[in-house]
Amino acid sequence: MSACAKEPGRRAVSSYAKRAWIILWKDFLIERRAKEHANALLFFCLLLLFLFQFALGPDRERLAAAVPGLLWLGVILAGLLGLGRSFLGERENDCWEGLRLTPGDKSAIYLGKLAGNCVLMAAVQIILVVLFGVFFGVDLWAPAAPLALVLGLGTIGLAAVGTLFAAMTTQLRARELLFPVLLLPVQVPVLLATVSATQALLLGQPLADVAHWLKLLAGADLVYVTIGVLTFEFVLEG
Amino acid sequence: MTRALGWLTVLGLAAGLAAGFGYAPREAVQGNVQRIMYLHVPAVLTAYLAFLLVLLGSIAYLATRRAGWDRLAGAAGEIGVLFTGLTIVSGSIWGKPTWGTWWTWDARLTSTAVLFMVYVGYLLLRSLIEDPEARARYAAVVGILGAVNIPIVHFSVKWWRALHQPSTILGPERSPIDPAIGLALFVNWVAFTLLFAYFLARRMEIARLEEQT
Amino acid sequence: MPSNWGYVLAAYGIAAGALLTYWRHLARRTRALAARRAAKPRAA
Repeated sequence: MSACAKEPGRRAVSSYAKRAWIILWKDFLIERRAKEHANALLFFCLLLLFLFQFALGPDRERLAAAVPGLLWLGVILAGLLGLGRSFLGERENDCWEGLRLTPGDKSAIYLGKLAGNCVLMAAVQIILVVLFGVFFGVDLWAPAAPLALVLGLGTIGLAAVGTLFAAMTTQLRARELLFPVLLLPVQVPVLLATVSATQALLLGQPLADVAHWLKLLAGADLVYVTIGVLTFEFVLEG
Repeated sequence: MTRALGWLTVLGLAAGLAAGFGYAPREAVQGNVQRIMYLHVPAVLTAYLAFLLVLLGSIAYLATRRAGWDRLAGAAGEIGVLFTGLTIVSGSIWGKPTWGTWWTWDARLTSTAVLFMVYVGYLLLRSLIEDPEARARYAAVVGILGAVNIPIVHFSVKWWRALHQPSTILGPERSPIDPAIGLALFVNWVAFTLLFAYFLARRMEIARLEEQT
Repeated sequence: MPSNWGYVLAAYGIAAGALLTYWRHLARRTRALAARRAAKPRAA
């Protein structure tokens, strides 16, 4: 008895969205029953906290100044672990063929996986923000709304490319090496944008001051998701 | 045919050296060190040409599934990485006497370094997949994403730099005003483009031969 | 402003070295492939 989702064969336009939703819901159900990812991720965030503290030393001000960078660094590190495993379930349970034989537009699978990964990364960020606020004594509550916007846009960018590359590297023997090596250079703009914008927001600057970063992130997100949607079927073959 | 291109390249490079060292004047502010520009700028322009070809080859491969397009993408990627490396090294050497350090996180060097990392990853991906069909497909996806990302990287790095350093007075980014410098630059750029075309032709031929054996 | 010819020569020297090495690498690979094709009596 495999864990593959059974895809309906309807031809309505809404079946595309339904297929994406089925992928998202399936992953959520598997996760809820197994609970393995959630616990490990929470623990990983806690570990990161200690890692950063020990790496940067006891000086509180130095830590507080580094928070914008550390926050997104934490997201990236968690992403490398979490995103790389996006399709592991399908691969290990022989569901890959099931994905390939899905009728209709394969990009629905991509969007479903992307949505799931965004939720995962959002959870990581919330945990990190809370932990940083508590342990590093940084006030992250005051700029919460604009910060959420910045982090949200960054998350989409990270997950969009991460999901695509995860599908690609899952099939390869060298996946643990290739996934970070391919993902990180492409993520440089997202990293620069989120860290710069976060830094400005934490210094109390208004959202209007970081508008150009938001536009860059939004533009990059659009490009990455579009390419993901257009090329996912080519990754899925074979 | 390729042989003729090779000789033309030698001619071009000789002309470029003559233009850069003989014809072009000694720059007023930086002195003779500025002559590195005749190497640095054509190298980066050629690298951009190479990665544009990677993009075109990648899209064309996914559209037509003809192996020739993948050969173009792979060859252009390899040579592009070579020229990007040259850009970084020459930029660094140029920077030492003019800025006082081997490396600064200035916009051009940083963007070029990111470009280098993206395409080294591209080459690594190609080298780690044995099946030619899968290699071509995956490389094409990465090639497209990498190329489309270039302007995004450019702007993000530029704005990031603006936070840390308002403007540099001295720097390789200054556009040449002297027409003699401009002409020498042009000659060297043509020479590098010929060199690129020659390398590309030979590298693609190797790929074609490899597929047949 | 000192002449700094050393830096200019270093940059051009490294460039020439790298390009020549790559050219020789291409030549060697081509020769090896041509030899392998000649050694195989059957056509591909």
